[in-house]
Amino acid sequence: MSLDTAIEAKNVVKKYSDFVALDGVSLDIKKGECFGLLGPNGAGKSTLMKLMYCQSLLTEGELYILGLNVKTNFREIKSKIGVVPQDNMLDEDFTLLENLKLFARYQQMEPSTVNEKIFHLLRLFKLEEFANHQIGQLSGGTQRRLCIARALIHSPDLLFLDEPTTGLDPQSRLWLWNFVKQMKDMAGTIIMTTHYIEEAEELCDRVAVIDHGKILAIDYPATLIKNHIGEEVVEFHSNSVDLNYYINRLKENKFEYQVYHNMVLVFIKPEQNSRILLEIIKSEKVTLRKPTLNDVFLKLAGYNLRDV
Amino acid sequence: MFDLTYLKLPKIREGYKNIWLRNFLHFKKTFMVSFFWVILEPLMYLGAIGYGLGSYIQTINGQSYVDFFFPGLLASTSMMVPFFESTYNNYTKLTFQKIYNHMMLTRLDSHEIVTGELLWSTFKGLFGIVGLVIIGSFFGLVSEWQILLVVVILTLNSWIFAGIAMTITSIAKNYDSFIYATSGFLIPLTLISGIYFPISQMPLILQITTYIFPLAHTIELCRMLLTDSWHWWGYLHIAYLLILAYAFFLIALHRISKKLIN
Ligand SMILES: Nc1ncnc2c1ncn2[C@@H]1O[C@H](COP(=O)(O)OP(=O)(O)O)[C@@H](O)[C@H]1O
Ligand SMILES: [Mg+2]
Repeated sequence: MSLDTAIEAKNVVKKYSDFVALDGVSLDIKKGECFGLLGPNGAGKSTLMKLMYCQSLLTEGELYILGLNVKTNFREIKSKIGVVPQDNMLDEDFTLLENLKLFARYQQMEPSTVNEKIFHLLRLFKLEEFANHQIGQLSGGTQRRLCIARALIHSPDLLFLDEPTTGLDPQSRLWLWNFVKQMKDMAGTIIMTTHYIEEAEELCDRVAVIDHGKILAIDYPATLIKNHIGEEVVEFHSNSVDLNYYINRLKENKFEYQVYHNMVLVFIKPEQNSRILLEIIKSEKVTLRKPTLNDVFLKLAGYNLRDV
Repeated sequence: MFDLTYLKLPKIREGYKNIWLRNFLHFKKTFMVSFFWVILEPLMYLGAIGYGLGSYIQTINGQSYVDFFFPGLLASTSMMVPFFESTYNNYTKLTFQKIYNHMMLTRLDSHEIVTGELLWSTFKGLFGIVGLVIIGSFFGLVSEWQILLVVVILTLNSWIFAGIAMTITSIAKNYDSFIYATSGFLIPLTLISGIYFPISQMPLILQITTYIFPLAHTIELCRMLLTDSWHWWGYLHIAYLLILAYAFFLIALHRISKKLIN
């Protein structure tokens, strides 16, 4: 394992009694990378992340975080990582400020450094005005910001964000995207899960597409799109009578395609010409567009990520 | 083969102090509520049973009834307070509030969390004990220096019942489990442990049964100390309490850990 490896997973299996939540996951995440785990609800994203942040025990396989084995060095790992779990897990018996102070204590930080650090985080995350509010009085977006501030309190080497923007209003989402980009600029290592395509495309250097506990593909979003889809996508709707006719024509012309309900997606490879296609299809609802990660997902998993 | 490593206490790191501290800070906020709950209830029992009912009883084992009853009430308080803390409260923290999971996001491990919680419950028991001792002294029920030893025994009892309660919490499916535990175990236990009348009054089978549980041992020790009638078998009571203290600590550690990291 090289020095710039942040996470190394080899054949990771996680079973909940008989249920296999992760089925042989292997991946390498480099330091300074923003790595995305992309998949629908129930894919196993949080399960994989929990194994990484040591709140769950490996059933089989090997998992190293910052060169440390999760089986034996979980305490040291936990002192070096920051975690924003899917459900915020704030201590509702205390105020925002008290939550940060308690967390600093749990992390056994040097008392002399704590106040300054907290002051800095409050300002950075625009939390000053809420410092003495009870957790229950805070909006979802503010709670999320607090969770991130909390995760950064001990200056971790690695940040885990589990569905950081799910349920957030558009403003908070934009703020969060901005924050992640800033972290990336400062060469911070981030591992995040999401089921939003745009989010993964916007933020992640590399993504792993995951479903049913298996990794379907890992690469740069652009590379995934190029390899699995191509240059362009032609999307059209057809009634079931004409569908067969169109499909046969697509086959004749060696187009790669995917049928989804009464929608057909045709993947145009660099050497192919979308013009021919537009002549074949007489449907009114034809669109020519750039491919997205969702097309990759649809092709690999067989269904639309937007549906889940 | 029976695995003996299971009987060995795992290393408990110092982070448990911060768990205790968290609870103390919360306690400070809700001090008055706790105070009423912890002190007022035993005080009502003291009035109703000790003085009210007790006034119809001439003497019991050569003592006035209230003198007989008071150590029993102390022991019962030292049991109830940590029991409710580590059932209802700790179950809420474990499940709905997810406070333990939240602590697990830091470098704290599950053993520190369980230890800190049990120590907190024990402390709350001690809070009730001391409060009741102070109140008892106003009524002239406490005059011997041995009360200090009694407080130590009662604290041990609190620790044991915190461990028992935490074990029940690890088994509980919902809050109903605690209703069963309270009416099916805790309340009957107070009736057969010699709080209200001497154990020797009961049928033999109940006398044997009651000594399985810690409460009767605690009460017996307290009475021995407060009436200057120490016997060597007091050490057996202590030894048995220490074994229970260790056993339920271990069980609670292992069972709650499994819940926190699975
Ligand atoms: N503690 C658990 N016990 C049993 N099954 C679980 C547990 N946690 C998750 N699962 C199951 O494992 C699968 C993956 O869950 P999860 O990792 O949370 O998915 P995701 O985060 O991708 O939405 C789901 O089918 C879920 O029901
Ligand atoms: Mg999840």
